[in-house]
Amino acid sequence: MSPIPVPPKRVLLYTAPIIVLLFVLPFVVPPYEVTQLSYGLIFAIAALGFNLLLGYTGLLSFGHSAYFGMGAYGVAFMVKYLKITSMEALIVGGIVAATAVAALFGFLCVRYTRIFFSILALALSQVLWSLAFKFFWVTGGTDGLRVPTPSLLGVGMAPGQDKMAFLAHRYYYYVLVIFLVGVAVMWVIVHSPFGKALQAIRDNETRAEFVGVQVRRYRYMAFLVSGVYTGLAGALWVPLNGLTTPDILHWTFSGEIVFFTVLGGFQTFAGPIVGAVVFNYLKTFAVGYTVYWQMFLGGVLVVLVLALPGGIVGTAGRLVDRFRKAA
Amino acid sequence: MGEVSRRDFLNSLGVTVGAAVAASAGAVGSVVGPSKAEAQVRGTIPDKPYKIGHMTFFTGAAAVLGEPSYKGHILAAEEINAQGGLLGKRKIETFKADEAAGTDANVKEMRRMKLSEGIDLFTGVISSGNTPALGPVAEELKLLTIFVDGCTDFLFDKAVPNPHYIFRITNMQSADGVIAAVATAMTWPKVSKIAHIHPDYSYGRNAFDHFKIAIEKLVPGTKVVYEGWPKLGTTDFTSHITNAIAAKPDLLASSVWGGDYIAMYKQGLRYDLFKKMKFTSMIAFGVAPHAIGKDHPEGVIGGIHSNYYWNYPPAGKWPLNDIFVKKYFDRWKEYPNFQSEGAYTTLYLLKQSIEKANKLIGGWPDDEAIITLLEGASIAGPAGYLHIRADIHQGYKDAVTGFSVNSPDYPFQILDPKRMITIPIRNITAPPGWPKGEPTSTYTWIEKTWPKVTKA
Repeated sequence: MSPIPVPPKRVLLYTAPIIVLLFVLPFVVPPYEVTQLSYGLIFAIAALGFNLLLGYTGLLSFGHSAYFGMGAYGVAFMVKYLKITSMEALIVGGIVAATAVAALFGFLCVRYTRIFFSILALALSQVLWSLAFKFFWVTGGTDGLRVPTPSLLGVGMAPGQDKMAFLAHRYYYYVLVIFLVGVAVMWVIVHSPFGKALQAIRDNETRAEFVGVQVRRYRYMAFLVSGVYTGLAGALWVPLNGLTTPDILHWTFSGEIVFFTVLGGFQTFAGPIVGAVVFNYLKTFAVGYTVYWQMFLGGVLVVLVLALPGGIVGTAGRLVDRFRKAA
Repeated sequence: MGEVSRRDFLNSLGVTVGAAVAASAGAVGSVVGPSKAEAQVRGTIPDKPYKIGHMTFFTGAAAVLGEPSYKGHILAAEEINAQGGLLGKRKIETFKADEAAGTDANVKEMRRMKLSEGIDLFTGVISSGNTPALGPVAEELKLLTIFVDGCTDFLFDKAVPNPHYIFRITNMQSADGVIAAVATAMTWPKVSKIAHIHPDYSYGRNAFDHFKIAIEKLVPGTKVVYEGWPKLGTTDFTSHITNAIAAKPDLLASSVWGGDYIAMYKQGLRYDLFKKMKFTSMIAFGVAPHAIGKDHPEGVIGGIHSNYYWNYPPAGKWPLNDIFVKKYFDRWKEYPNFQSEGAYTTLYLLKQSIEKANKLIGGWPDDEAIITLLEGASIAGPAGYLHIRADIHQGYKDAVTGFSVNSPDYPFQILDPKRMITIPIRNITAPPGWPKGEPTSTYTWIEKTWPKVTKA
């Protein structure tokens, strides 16, 4: 959301090397690092969806775990009860489940703004969490539901193939392509008249209404799109993780989605993407190296809010600007 | 089935009370003393460290139960390393991880340990919510794993019915509910109205199911008058306590554990809970022993996850326990719990299997050789004889529980070593070949094969 729109050619120039790098990565880094990046990219899809609400529409949702979780549980239910193995069908099912919930919750939430919106979104997501938690004969309770390796584009895992090799290669590319399409579509959305209207609502609701923007309707649309993205992320996440538990429906996971976005910088398009990837590494690192991982992540959040409110991307952008002016 | 008296049936279960140590097993290795194999290591052994990932609760309310697991593990690792390491060459290097990070993070962490740190063995894990998630991942990673706890029947009943790489040391969870019911039937055979408070996840439901099915056989006519299901990690039990009291039960049965249980019994005292009803727990004394204060009610059945309490087998009866408790106390300035014993025995079981494999094939044995020797292995540990069932890779030892008592010798409440109840595990668990059942194989086995007692 830089004040001067970046011409599309420049964007491609900047992003092309990154895309190439993402494609060659599985050939240079060990499988473990590749699966970590898959997690990061999947979280990035969720964060992009989340930021359409926070960064572009000015609504802070503390309940996005609901849509991520619905995507994940949607997939798990289809595997468990319908015995579906096609990943494409599972993704469609996951998105439908997440969107249905987003349609209902969004209908209630967009009537409010600021803290009321945030708390209502949180409360509603907690309802889903407690359902997943209490109805253990359906949802597996805290044991969760296991999801075996699905088939991608009709091709399943070869018998005897190593699961990690599958996750680090075929599944990674699968996620990467969906991620890139997702980013491109989101880019189009935020630069479309619809995206501009959302930003107008964010900046001044009253004025937006005066120029003819149907505020509540636009917010609802943004909420739905956001739900679709987060649900897609949830659906992609389950096969990678191997199982889904109520943890991802809990509000603390919503907090992590907020954390991704703040870490990367919610005032930029790329911020949530960078934040999600970095946060995933940060948490894995912290959990692996210290039992004080919660304190460590808390410390990062405090520093972020106090010293770097622009997040990683915002701060980097500021530094680049300063460097240019000095030169 | 005709008339069955409770006394006869309990006798047939082989229940013993007091300081007996059940005799069993022939030639087995033990956790202390240089083993015979050690003197004659065959072939060349590489001297690179043997890396072990140990996951347990280091933070949160569960740490009071979980951290002793790490201490037991470290004690064994230090002892083995002092002798030069495994086969005298490979020093044990431990990587620790906090189980409190949540199931999904634990799955990631197990992958990281294997693929990034290159661990040779994964061990630890407390929560029954985690082993069904981690077990299949360990199989995928082809990672040799010996879980210390997380002992849900579900793991080998359903999640991984044909394990290859994963094993588990502590007793199967269903034993908790069953031995609690047996102890209750022996001690208070007149109870009829029973209230339950259990943590709302797989362990709590497992304890509830097995207590219920066993008590219905042993004390026919009991009924459940209250069920409370607090979430794991809850610290406020007042509503459950007052509701349980309001139901006017004869007995409260509970599988609340760790820091949660400490909070529950302290709050229970404020409501005179333990004066208003009898109390049976599956796992109250499973925490680090010093966590149970002297204000804890005496004479209640204070379960230990049917595994081990540090003063039993009692001093002088079973040298392995005397030695273990002393070493543990000298090292950590506290007494061990069943997790410490499990984690400690895990490493000695590994050591025994590696040494046997070396004796057979020479050099450093690969995982397949170690697995073959772990299957069906027996070892004498601090708690008694431990057997690893070959078909489901599950550890079995005699199930135990006991009664709380204050002793002037200790600044905390203990279990009375003179009143410990021991049952051979084979008499309360589904045997090999029993079809997988719902909710567990042991449940259907008890349901179908135990008689309903008809008189005292």
